[in-house]
Amino acid sequence: MSTTRHLVNRRRRLATTPSRTAGTGTEPAYGEPDTVEAELDAADDSAPDAADAVEAAPDAADDSPTDEAPRARAARLRITLPAVLCALTVLLGAVAVWAFASASSLRDEPARQNAALTDIGRTSEVKGRISEAVGAVFSYDYASPARSERAASTYLTGRAVQQHKDMLADVREQAPEQKLVLTTTVTGSGVEFLDGDRARLLVFADQSNTRTGKDEETTYAAAMFAVDAVRRGDTWLIAAIDTFTR
Amino acid sequence: MERRRTATVNTESGGTTGTRNPLLLAALALVVCAAGAAGWGGWQRYEASHDDAASFAQARDDALAAGEQAVQNMNTLDHKALEQGLDSWEQSTTGDLHRQLVDGRDDFARQIAEAKTVSTAKVLSGAVTELDQRAGRAGVMVALRVTVTAPEGEPAVKESRLLGTLTRTAGGWKLSALGQAPVGSTAG
Repeated sequence: MSTTRHLVNRRRRLATTPSRTAGTGTEPAYGEPDTVEAELDAADDSAPDAADAVEAAPDAADDSPTDEAPRARAARLRITLPAVLCALTVLLGAVAVWAFASASSLRDEPARQNAALTDIGRTSEVKGRISEAVGAVFSYDYASPARSERAASTYLTGRAVQQHKDMLADVREQAPEQKLVLTTTVTGSGVEFLDGDRARLLVFADQSNTRTGKDEETTYAAAMFAVDAVRRGDTWLIAAIDTFTR
Repeated sequence: MERRRTATVNTESGGTTGTRNPLLLAALALVVCAAGAAGWGGWQRYEASHDDAASFAQARDDALAAGEQAVQNMNTLDHKALEQGLDSWEQSTTGDLHRQLVDGRDDFARQIAEAKTVSTAKVLSGAVTELDQRAGRAGVMVALRVTVTAPEGEPAVKESRLLGTLTRTAGGWKLSALGQAPVGSTAG
C-alpha cells in the first residue's frame, strides 16, 4: 500500500511538522505505526493545516482532484458555521442581558419595594408590635414610674429615646403631685411602608389623662403621629416618632 | 484494505477529539450557555411582570394616591371659586358620599358664600389599612392639617384624623365614605 507519494509525503511532513508528529504519536489511539501513517496521510492529502473527518475518509484521501468541490464547501462551512454560532451567541447574550435588566428594573419599582399589605404576615406583625409599644411607652402611672422606664428601654431605640423623654417630661414632673395616670390606646394604625427591617406606620391613638388627686377628672385627647420602626432580632422597635410639628 | 479500514476508524475517532473541533465545540458550548441564559432571563422577566404581589402593590399605591388626593380635595374650598371646588368634591367621590354631596350642594354653597371662608388642606401622612382588590374596595387613614381662613381673625389650623373608604370605579379609585376617626373609643 505504501506508494512513492506516501513516502514523499511522509518525508515532507516529518521535515515540516515535527512537533505534530510527536504530539499525535503520544496519543494511545495512534500508537500503531500503521495507523499513525494512515492518519497522517489523510491529513496530508487534505489541507495541511487541518485534518477534516470528511476529507480523511479513505475515498477522499486517495484521489485529491475530485476532492476540490467538497473541500471548498467544507472550507466555507468552516467559516460560516463558527460565524453563525458567534452571531447566535451574541444575539442570545443580548436577549439574556436585556431580560435580566428588565426583570430587575421591574423588581426595583418603588411599589414593589414596599411590602405593606402585600406581605400580610409582616404587616400585621409590625402593626401589632408597634401598637403594643406605643401603648406601653406613652402610658404613665404616678404609682409605678419604673414601669414606664422599663417600657421605654424595651421598645425604644435611637432617636426615639430622646424624643420620648422630651414628650413625657411634663407628665413626669406633674405626675406625683397630681396623681396622674396617662393611658394611651392605639385606635388605628396603618403601615405606610415596609421593606425588610424598616417600616413606617401611621398611628391614631386616644390618650386618657386621669388626675386622681382631690377631685378625679379624666380628659381625652386624640393623637396622631407616624412611627419609624426597625426590626431587631425578632421584634420591632420604635426608632423615631414624627408628630407632624410644623 | 485492512489498513484502510483502520484508517477510517482512526480518522473518525481523530475527528471527534482532533484539531478542528475544540473551537467548534467551544462555540457550540457558548451558544448553549447563551441560550440557557436567555431562557432563564426570559423566565425571570416573565415572573417579574406577572407577579400578583406586584399588581397588589400597584393597586395599593394607586388607592393611597387617589385617597390622599380626594381627602385633600374634600377639605379644600375657596368661597371665591365655589363651583369649581364643589365640582372637584363631586369628582373625588362615588356612591353614598357622592349622593349626599350632590343633594346638599346648594345649601352648602350658600353657607360658604355667606361665611366667605377659604379652606386649604395638607396631607401629613396616609396609609392603606385594607385592600380588597377583587371587590375593588380599600380603606385608608389620613392625617390632615386644615387651615381655615375667615375674612376676620387669624386663620384657624386644625389637625384631623380621617378614615376613608375607597371604591374602584371606571374613573379610578374614589371616596365612598369619609369621616373623623372617633375619639374615646378603644376599638383597635
